[in-house]
Amino acid sequence: MSENLKRTFLDEVSSLKSLADAANLRVKYLGKKGIITAKIKSLSSLSPEERRVAGREINELKQFIEEECERKESLLKSAELKGRLLAEAIDITLPGKAVSFGHEHPLSRTLREVVDIFTRMGFDVQEGPEVELDCYNFEALNIPKDHPARDMQDTFYISEDIVLRTHTSPVQVRVMEKKKPPLRFIAPGKVYRCDADVTHSPMFHQVEGLMVDKDITFSHLKGVLIAFIHQMFGPDIPVRFRPSYFPFTEPSAEIDMGCILCKSAGCRVCKGTGWLEILGAGMVNPKVLENVGYDSEEYTGFAFGMGIERITLLKYSIDDIRLLFENDIRFLRQF
Amino acid sequence: MRVSFDWLKDFVKVAATPEAVAEKLTMLGLEIEALERIDGDVVLEVNVTPNRPDCLSIMGIARELSAAYGIPLAFPDLNVVSESKELDFNVEILEADLCRRYAGRIVHNLKVGPSPDWMKKRLEKCGIRSINNVVDITNYVLLEFGHPLHAFDLSTIRGHLIRVGTPKVTTGQSNMKFTTLDGSEREVSGETLLIWDAERPIAIAGVMGGSDTEVTEKTVDIFIESAYFEPTSIRRTSKTLGLKTEASYRFERGTDLKALKKALDRAAMLMHEVAGGTLYGKIDIYPKRFYPKQINVRYERIGRLLGVKLSEQEVLDCLQGLGLEIFECNSEGFKVKVPPYRGDIAMEADIIEEVARLYGYDRIPAELPKARLGVDSRKEIVSAREIRHDIRESLLKCGFDEAINLSFMGAYELDLLSIPAEDARRKLVQVRNPLREEDAYMRTTLVPALIRNLIHNLAHGNRELRLFEMAKAFIDIDHNSLPEEKERIAALYYREKTKTLYKDDTPDFFVVKGIGDAMFEGIGISGHSYVRSDEPFLHPGRSANIMIGGSKAGFIGELSPAVIEALDIKAQKPSVIVMEMDLGAIISLSKRDAIYKQLPKYPFVERDTAIIVDARLQAAEIIGHLKDHASGIVEDVSIFDIYQGGNIGVGKKSIAFNVRYRSPEKTLTDQEVEDTHKVLVDYILEKTGGQVRI
Ligand SMILES: [Zn+2]
Repeated sequence: MSENLKRTFLDEVSSLKSLADAANLRVKYLGKKGIITAKIKSLSSLSPEERRVAGREINELKQFIEEECERKESLLKSAELKGRLLAEAIDITLPGKAVSFGHEHPLSRTLREVVDIFTRMGFDVQEGPEVELDCYNFEALNIPKDHPARDMQDTFYISEDIVLRTHTSPVQVRVMEKKKPPLRFIAPGKVYRCDADVTHSPMFHQVEGLMVDKDITFSHLKGVLIAFIHQMFGPDIPVRFRPSYFPFTEPSAEIDMGCILCKSAGCRVCKGTGWLEILGAGMVNPKVLENVGYDSEEYTGFAFGMGIERITLLKYSIDDIRLLFENDIRFLRQF
Repeated sequence: MRVSFDWLKDFVKVAATPEAVAEKLTMLGLEIEALERIDGDVVLEVNVTPNRPDCLSIMGIARELSAAYGIPLAFPDLNVVSESKELDFNVEILEADLCRRYAGRIVHNLKVGPSPDWMKKRLEKCGIRSINNVVDITNYVLLEFGHPLHAFDLSTIRGHLIRVGTPKVTTGQSNMKFTTLDGSEREVSGETLLIWDAERPIAIAGVMGGSDTEVTEKTVDIFIESAYFEPTSIRRTSKTLGLKTEASYRFERGTDLKALKKALDRAAMLMHEVAGGTLYGKIDIYPKRFYPKQINVRYERIGRLLGVKLSEQEVLDCLQGLGLEIFECNSEGFKVKVPPYRGDIAMEADIIEEVARLYGYDRIPAELPKARLGVDSRKEIVSAREIRHDIRESLLKCGFDEAINLSFMGAYELDLLSIPAEDARRKLVQVRNPLREEDAYMRTTLVPALIRNLIHNLAHGNRELRLFEMAKAFIDIDHNSLPEEKERIAALYYREKTKTLYKDDTPDFFVVKGIGDAMFEGIGISGHSYVRSDEPFLHPGRSANIMIGGSKAGFIGELSPAVIEALDIKAQKPSVIVMEMDLGAIISLSKRDAIYKQLPKYPFVERDTAIIVDARLQAAEIIGHLKDHASGIVEDVSIFDIYQGGNIGVGKKSIAFNVRYRSPEKTLTDQEVEDTHKVLVDYILEKTGGQVRI
């Protein structure tokens, strides 16, 4: 009899489709008025001997049914969850909600890289006014009025004695006037020259540097600038120093690095020479040191300067400087 | 300067290829910018720095090569055979400060005509057009020796006299008119150095001759001038007249006081050879003689400046061939007499540069300096830099692209923004020589540039803009002192409604305001508030001044429709949000020193209430009242809904707010919260005259 019951139960269990059916089945067999409960109740009418045998049998059956119910319920539960999750599926190929970060201007990026390299080398950062006195921009730097060297820097004038600074060198003078050596700093900032074409902008950015102490030499100038170029453009870039002229340095040098576009093979950008001019530099002219009250016998120093626009144009292969100041977002968002 | 390689070889017999010579010159400081092959010759384009006028000549460049290669310089033979007739001709220098030497020669009976081919070709290769043999010879010698000469038609010089002086000194005139040989009549000031005959001016000294005394095809007799004019005087004249010639270019950089005689002789010889003239004796007035500068040079100093120890011999070898006279040599150093063509050498450092140049910059070893550790910058400067960096970063993270604009603007841009006359933004710093009228002033606000950027981007179909810029504004104080330079930060936001997948209806004003608040939070500014702005270019109902610590730090708002219309901005949606702030003020108010507050131990309880109030009542007022009311357990208040219309009466609005209660000492009971909230709501209703929305 119990075998029949077991078979019937198993048939019913296997045909279960939902958790609700499973609950019903459980009630049908194990509920207060369930088949098994009824059987257990009916045991009391049996003799003690029969009760012992039938009791064990019925208890085993009960335990079997309970286990089967549980097993089935758990199966149904996971099947049902699976179904629900499947129904909840989204199209994961749709785009995410756009969160766009802004883009740093390429000039800021270059400027930041340059400043970082020098501050890592222990250079401080100094600033000064963009509208500057003629005497700081020129005279203190050994560029008197009516000197042909003024032609090197086409100047915007505000008045006879006030100009838009043509380089950040006046910052050097202002700092030296206030502090005694040793000095080691760079001066980044905007500068202005009366010139506009594909490679010149009337406003551009420079980073200039100065180091003054006892026994600073041309060798040190070379050491620091080669280290900078190798940090900025790569450790294998060739670098050369050639004589040049700046009124505020003596000796003066222009520094070329191997063309990064053609790997020194010669191209349109480097005019076939394989070299790109990247920095101007020199040993601070003793007259400049004397102008700020330093003893040029005791102290020597080097100064250097570079154009951030030029580096940026080279670095990103930008062929027109004006793009840098149009602020077209199609341009800005490339960086 | 264009230099023929063949011509160079007349003076220095280099065996090296033109390419090798070009490389050598570049590494000597005479950068070769281009190399051009013409007619089996090579023309070098030399970039001569302003300190080296001696290298504005074939001879000067040959001298450099001679020094570098150790090959002797071949000088042209200058044995001038002239008729030793007494010259019936006088030269008077009236101002020796402006003209230290004036020499000349007379050539009779020459035939003006075309130059021989060899001369024409050399001139043309060097970029000078052939005119006639007489003019060509002066140009030829100019290129060869770097010394400008001028030839006058002798027959036009009146009174057998040449005078050198300014109008002021010569005739007492303060200014006058003069016609130069290019045919233009020029206004000449009383300070301009002129060449005169007995009656009238005949040339602007060192710049250009006059049309009346020009050599023509009819000329038979000439007077050749070779003089030294003071550089600054020539430069001033050339600048004032806006007249730059091969002659003025060289005179203003400084010419060779001694070699001018050689140049004159060379020209005279060529006049004889090429134009068949008969040479007469010369005249040479030399009131201020040349005395060479003497410079002490110490070996020890060379080592200290260059960082490389050179032997005495190495040093002297470098200087050999430059024409410097070295004397009084001993183990400490030596003295140098500087030749007249090297006006750039004036002190020991200049000689050290010559040594380094000839030794080769590339042979000087590179070495990193040893330096003492230390920090120079003041703490404020460093932290200002950090704050600036953080502000930039927060705007970048919020999706704003960084703009960099030129510092210029036009005054009309302030008119477009209706900036009133008394506004500080009208205190303009004017550029005297702008490249364009639109760039005639230094900007006093960053807004116009961002608007230009907007217009540019819209014109190129870019319909969603988030731009910011950090830069200086320039406010004039008075015209005689430096202006005030104020750091500003500005942003512009424009976004057209586009079909998007995910909706976000936040009004633009509040998008930007939220970003501004985030920025403030990032740098520790919390006490700021917003009040209605009266900026004339903003929508009066949709703009605010940003107040920090009781003063205006900037503004945020929608550009007024009037501005949009005036600028002819073709946008689908006229709402453009701009923001500008005083960055310096923000930096000074930033407080970033955080102090840890203990995390709360007890749970919070929230209550929401909606009240109906007058529609004009501003949110800030309600929040203010909520915060004022000190119950001791209000942790936070926020507005979460504003509603108008429907069953809310006309002129009214519903404001729903949320209050979060928490006690630092215990878990609050419902009753406590209920009681407190009721008191709070009653207080708000009393203050606002509102009623609870049911
Ligand atoms: Zn290249």
